[in-house]
Amino acid sequence: MIDVKNVTKRFGEGQAAVTALEDVSLTIPEGSFFTLLGPSGCGKTTLLRLIAGFELPSEGEIALDGESIGHLAPNNRPVNTVFQNYALFPHMSVARNVGFGLEMLKRPKAEIDSTITEMLDLVQLGEFATRRVDQLSGGQQQRVALARALAPRPKVLLLDEPLSALDLKLRKGMQSELKRLQHETGITFVFVTHDQGEALAMSDRIAVMSAGSVRQVGTPEEIYTAPKSRFVADFIGDTNIVNATLLGFDGDAAKIRFGEGKPLTIHTASTLLEPGPVHVALRPETIRVVEESAETALLRGEVVDSTYFGAGSQMLVRLEDGVSVHVQVSTPRPVGSRVGLECDTSMLHVLED
Amino acid sequence: MAGVAHIPQPDAASRLLAAQAERARQRRRTRLFLLAPGLGIIGIFGLFPLSIALVYSFLEPGTYGGVEWTFSYDAYVQFLFERDIFDDTLTFNSAYLQIFGRSFGLAITTMIGTLILGFPVAYFIAARPQEQRNFWLFAITLPFWTNLLIRTYSMLLIVRDEGFVNLTLMNIGLISEPIEMLYTDGAVLAGLVYSYLPFMILPIYASLEKFDFSLLEAGHDLYATRTQVFRHIIIPITRPGIAAGCVLVLIPALGAYITPELLGGGKKLMIGNLIALQFGSGRNWPFGAAAALILMAVVLIALLVSLRAGASKEGGHG
Repeated sequence: MIDVKNVTKRFGEGQAAVTALEDVSLTIPEGSFFTLLGPSGCGKTTLLRLIAGFELPSEGEIALDGESIGHLAPNNRPVNTVFQNYALFPHMSVARNVGFGLEMLKRPKAEIDSTITEMLDLVQLGEFATRRVDQLSGGQQQRVALARALAPRPKVLLLDEPLSALDLKLRKGMQSELKRLQHETGITFVFVTHDQGEALAMSDRIAVMSAGSVRQVGTPEEIYTAPKSRFVADFIGDTNIVNATLLGFDGDAAKIRFGEGKPLTIHTASTLLEPGPVHVALRPETIRVVEESAETALLRGEVVDSTYFGAGSQMLVRLEDGVSVHVQVSTPRPVGSRVGLECDTSMLHVLED
Repeated sequence: MAGVAHIPQPDAASRLLAAQAERARQRRRTRLFLLAPGLGIIGIFGLFPLSIALVYSFLEPGTYGGVEWTFSYDAYVQFLFERDIFDDTLTFNSAYLQIFGRSFGLAITTMIGTLILGFPVAYFIAARPQEQRNFWLFAITLPFWTNLLIRTYSMLLIVRDEGFVNLTLMNIGLISEPIEMLYTDGAVLAGLVYSYLPFMILPIYASLEKFDFSLLEAGHDLYATRTQVFRHIIIPITRPGIAAGCVLVLIPALGAYITPELLGGGKKLMIGNLIALQFGSGRNWPFGAAAALILMAVVLIALLVSLRAGASKEGGHG
C-alpha cells in the first residue's frame, strides 16, 4: 500500500518556482491496478516520479507499507518503472536487460538466469533472449521493458504512459496483456495516462488529476457515473452539463430544479454547496426523448442537429437557456422539432464547480 | 514496335539484370570520382613521402646529410645495437629503446590525463540544453585559433621561475623561492595535456550527444548505484567515443616535438626530437627514417591489437 500524504512538489526557486503538485494526498491499495489520469501538465507524471524517487517532494511524505520512502534514492526503493520511451539499454541483449536489476542486487547467477527465462515467457518473448534490443519492434521493446521492471519482483510497478507510443491495435492488445500481468503477479500497478478510455478499461481505481491536485478518486464506475466536479465530468467520456438551481439539502439528498420546473430530489456526494445556481451532469446515453408536453420531461428544447453513427444517432438539443445537450437515440426526431428530455433522477449529479 | 509483345519473359528479366548491372557500374564510377581528390592528396602527401622514408631507411647516411645510394640495413641495426668503431662487433644498446619507452610512457600518461579531465567536460556539454551546447563546443575549439607554438611559448612564460605562477605564490607568501617547474617532465605533461585535451573532449562529446539520459534513471530504478550506472551504462555506451579520443591523443602525443622541446628544454629526448635530430644536426637521415617507420609500425600493431580486443568484447555482449 502506498500512502501519499500532503505532498507538494515545486520546481525552481523563489519567484520562478512552478508548483507541479499542491498538497496531494492519496492511498493506493496493495495489489490494485491504480491509474493516475489527467491532461498533460496536471502533475500525474511528477507524482509517479516522486514515487519512483527520481524527484524528491518539496513537502509531505510518501510511505510504502507504512515505511517512509519519500527521501530514498531510486535504487533503494522496491519500486520499478516502465518508461514512456522504454529506456532499454542498447548495448545489452534482451536477456541482460531483463536480468539487470537482479544483477545489481547481486543475486546468484542461477536465480538471475531462471528469472530471465520466467519473465521472458511471461511476456511471450522466450525466443528473443539473445537478440539486441534494437532488433525488436516497438511492441516487443515494450514487453522487454515490462519484463525488465517485473524481474526484481518490485512491490510496486510504475508505468509512465507506456502505451502511448504504440499504434491503436497494439495498444488494445497491450491493455489486456497488462491486466493479465497485474493479475498474475499480484504486484501493485500505478499507471499514468491521459487517455480516459484506457483508464476506464484497465483500472481498479482511478485518480483524476488536474492542475497539480487530485480531483476525484474512485472506481471507473464511480468516476464515470458520479463525477463530483465539472472537470471530472468533462474529462471522462461524453457528458452534458446543464444549469439548475440548488434549493437546499434534505439529509444527504439535494433538492434542485431545472428552470421553473418542479423540484427534484437527487443524491449527492457533496453537501458543501451553497443554495443557488449549480451545474448538473448527465450522460447522453441515460437521457430519453419524450414529447415536449410529457409530464415526466425534465428539460425541454429544440432539435438542432442529428448525426447517424451506425449503432444509433446522436441528437443535439438546444435547451431554452441556450445550453446544448447531446442525446443518444435509436430513432432521431427531425431537426427543428421540439422535444422533452427525461432521465432517472439517480443519473443526475450536482457538480461542485 | 510489333515485336514487343512477343518478347519472352526470361529476356525481359535478363534485360532488367543488365540494366541493374549498368546502374551498379555507374554508382561505382561516381563513388570513385568522389573519392579521387581525397585519395590523390593521401597519395601525394602521405604515401609518397612514406615511400621515400622507407627507401631512405635502407640507405647509408651522407657525410653532410642526405643519403648515399648504397643498400644497407644499418639504420635498423643501429636502433638496437652499437657498432664498435674498431672491430665492428655489435653490442646491445638500449638508449633508443629508452627514448621510445619514455615517449610511450609520456603519451600514455597524457592520454589518461586528457581522459580524466576531458570526460567530465564532454558529459557536462552533452547534458546542457541543445541551444547552449554550441557555445561550449565553440569554447573548446577556441585554442585552435592560435598557433600551437605560441600557446606553448605562453605556457613557458607562465611556468618559468619568474613566471606568473611562481610570482603569485611568492607574493602571497606561500613559497619563498620559485618552484622549478619549467624543463621538468611535469611541465611537458601539462603542456601535452593542454594541447590535446580538445581531441579527447570532442569525440567523447559526439558519443554522449546521442546518449539517452533516461537510461541513467532506468539504471538507478533497477537498483544500480551511481558508480554502477557509470560502469555498466555510461562507459559501455560511450566506449567508441572514448576509444577514438584515446587514439586521437595517443598518436600525436607520441610524436610530439614542440612541447618537449620548449617545456622540457630538450633535456630528455623524445621520439619526435630524436627523429628531428637525425635529419638536422645528427646528419643521419637513414636512421631518422628508420626510427619514424619503427614508431609507425609499433603504433599500427598496438592499434590493431586493441581494435581486435575491442571487437571481441563487443561480440561477447551480443
